[in-house]
Amino acid sequence: MSEPIAIQAPQPSSVGASRIGTTGFAIGIAIVALVLAAALVGNALVPQDPFVQDLGNRLKPPFWMEGSQAGHLLGTDQLGRDYLARLVYGARISLLIGTMTVITSGLIGITLGVLGGFFGGRVDDFVLFAITTRLSIPVVLVALAVVGLMGSGLGLVVATLGLLLWDRFAVVARATTMQVRNHDYVSAAWCAGASMPHILIREILPNIASHLAVVATLEMALAILLEAALSFLGLGVPPPLPSWGLMIAEGKDYMFFSPWVIMIPGVALLVLVLGINLVGDGLRNLLGAERLR
Amino acid sequence: MPMQNKLGVAILAAALLGVTALPAAAQKSADTLRIVMRDALPNIDPFYNNLRTGVVMHHQGWDALVYRNPDTFKLEPLLATEWKLPDPTTIEFTLRPGVKFHDGSAFTADDVVYTVNLVADPASRVSTPSNYNWIEKAEKTGDLSVRVKLKRPNPAALEYFALVLPIYPKAYREKVGAEGYAKAPVGAGPYKITKVEPGVSIDFERFEDYWAGSPKGKPAIRKMSVRFVPDAGTEMTELLAGRADWIWNMNPDQLEPVNRMPHLQAVRKESMRIGYLSLDAAGRTGADNPLTKQKVRQAIWHAIDRKAIADKLVTGGSRVPAAPCFPSQFGCDAEAAVAYDYNPAKAKQLLAEAGYPDGFDVELASYVLPQWGSSVQNYLHAVGIRAKLNQLQTAALIQRSKAGELRMHLGSWGSYSINDVSAIMPNFFDGGADDYARDPEVQNWLLQGGSSINPEVRKEAYSAAIKKITEQAYWAPLHTYVTTYGHSKQLDFTPYPDELPRFYLAKWK
Repeated sequence: MSEPIAIQAPQPSSVGASRIGTTGFAIGIAIVALVLAAALVGNALVPQDPFVQDLGNRLKPPFWMEGSQAGHLLGTDQLGRDYLARLVYGARISLLIGTMTVITSGLIGITLGVLGGFFGGRVDDFVLFAITTRLSIPVVLVALAVVGLMGSGLGLVVATLGLLLWDRFAVVARATTMQVRNHDYVSAAWCAGASMPHILIREILPNIASHLAVVATLEMALAILLEAALSFLGLGVPPPLPSWGLMIAEGKDYMFFSPWVIMIPGVALLVLVLGINLVGDGLRNLLGAERLR
Repeated sequence: MPMQNKLGVAILAAALLGVTALPAAAQKSADTLRIVMRDALPNIDPFYNNLRTGVVMHHQGWDALVYRNPDTFKLEPLLATEWKLPDPTTIEFTLRPGVKFHDGSAFTADDVVYTVNLVADPASRVSTPSNYNWIEKAEKTGDLSVRVKLKRPNPAALEYFALVLPIYPKAYREKVGAEGYAKAPVGAGPYKITKVEPGVSIDFERFEDYWAGSPKGKPAIRKMSVRFVPDAGTEMTELLAGRADWIWNMNPDQLEPVNRMPHLQAVRKESMRIGYLSLDAAGRTGADNPLTKQKVRQAIWHAIDRKAIADKLVTGGSRVPAAPCFPSQFGCDAEAAVAYDYNPAKAKQLLAEAGYPDGFDVELASYVLPQWGSSVQNYLHAVGIRAKLNQLQTAALIQRSKAGELRMHLGSWGSYSINDVSAIMPNFFDGGADDYARDPEVQNWLLQGGSSINPEVRKEAYSAAIKKITEQAYWAPLHTYVTTYGHSKQLDFTPYPDELPRFYLAKWK
């Protein structure tokens, strides 16, 4: 319908987009850094113990509401435990589960993907088969079944999620390895007499690492959300450990009249997952720009 | 109670009312009382479940021989017009003529003889044998007269007849069998049961031929629908959203906020129920488990701040019973009980002495409100006992408990509202399925106390049992219950201390 007159337009808009992208990236980094700091040193800064209950001081509201208490910035939960202390401790659990899951699933997925993409043929057939098999399994259902059968626990949640969330690593690693393996520097390394492990680890891996970093952020966010979901259903981290999902579950009976008990961990979860995703988006934009150069 | 975000509640209320204004207004006109409960009833047959929900249901749908007035606790005639006790082990009932069951058949001595003999027979495998194992047999002495022989004197016998002995229609139950009866039960109570979906819902309708002059009276509300939901949160949602007119045993923290809702009302009443922590002292879950050691059990009693739980969590005047029974029950001698104060340091020391300086891991099953279970769990963690809380449905927990699978569990016992320790202690200490102490000495005392009509002999036996039970720290009574009810403001409902909601007395305003 319109005439092709907007040919110059992409230039400014893409600049705008990249600026938004950079801002988002910065915000994401800031959020993740903040949560990380809270997880690492938070419990040293918050004087209260996240496990000590005080039945005389139950359900105190946070500081912005009437009736709050000086010692409890974010109020207390249904057993009088300090909410800030629990939130900060919960950050540690969320990040721990996110990181451990990404490490486990990354190891599995990247190994499979690189091998499949590099060698092709039979090896690739096997890797593809493994990926399709994995993709046809619903993650939440299997996680529920495993945890339901074997009991809950921090280690089990990490193991279950780690063994289930490697598919995207494998897909991306395989595709990018296929692109990279025909590049000149790989041929050069062959000619220079480099060994197979050397080529895989020193030539291929560094050149696909940036893509994998983006996947890692996505998977980390997903793992944190899945942990919260499992804990909410009572199948994840066992109480009294303060996982955010568990805090939401414990607060759900109170949500009508003391809504902050689910709002606070809910917002924390939202912000952390959003932050990690922003970091992922930012990384992708940066890498995209790099590729254009 | 904390200060509430009034604006938030108002917005929420507006939203909920807005969405559901229609059903909320419609229930009164449909003359249907919508009840939501969370203790799903696997079997509605009165003798084949031991849930309070079951007792509540059978008091609506069935009549017993005797009625206990909820205000005065005096026994009044119901299906029996009068009774005599010619000797301590005989009760002679004269039955009421002209009473009909829901299927239209007439109530006679055959029905009473059939019911009493069935529940007294151990082969019938009723859910709470200790409620009936003192009965020997019933015999017909006329069309409308029955003689019941007891194996041993039972001073509280007529209370049992009033509260846990609803009468079956013999002909109908024999025709349809136990399974058929559970699907389509028939009684002689003020409400008839029109539909049963086990564990899901039960529908009632007023029995138009209910006998005139009953102390229960003819119900004012025509229909009742009882629906089971999985947890307290859902129950509250249903009430707030106007999909339920009546709930109970709600979280006491929500009493005040519910009272602030324009269309709702919350009330509470202390009941004869006590919350307890059962400990596997007998080693039923494993011969040498930590709880078989007396010091470990004593450590647990010292580790839990029962006073704080009663005052701050249960609230409403809840008390800590010293003895393993409700304070007002006959024979519940608090003086005989060994006292355990809240003393975590001593608990740790006792654990160390018992050989568990680093504590141990244990499953803590529970069907009480989740936050009450969590508080006990936290107290145990504080002294090093790493209890893993396993929240179960009531019926599921009871099943596992009876199978001897629970090392530690939290539950509650309402004594069927019978004001005598024979309604509570034998259930947990007579060597039956719920007994995790298996102490022959205690069993013997309970038998003595339950088979004499001499109050002094009974007291002495029960006191001895209480002393041993608390000394050994077998089974920890935690707090008395204060039952919290939430209902629509359109409903005129009176709670009674015997924890039996009488829907046949409720009416619309």
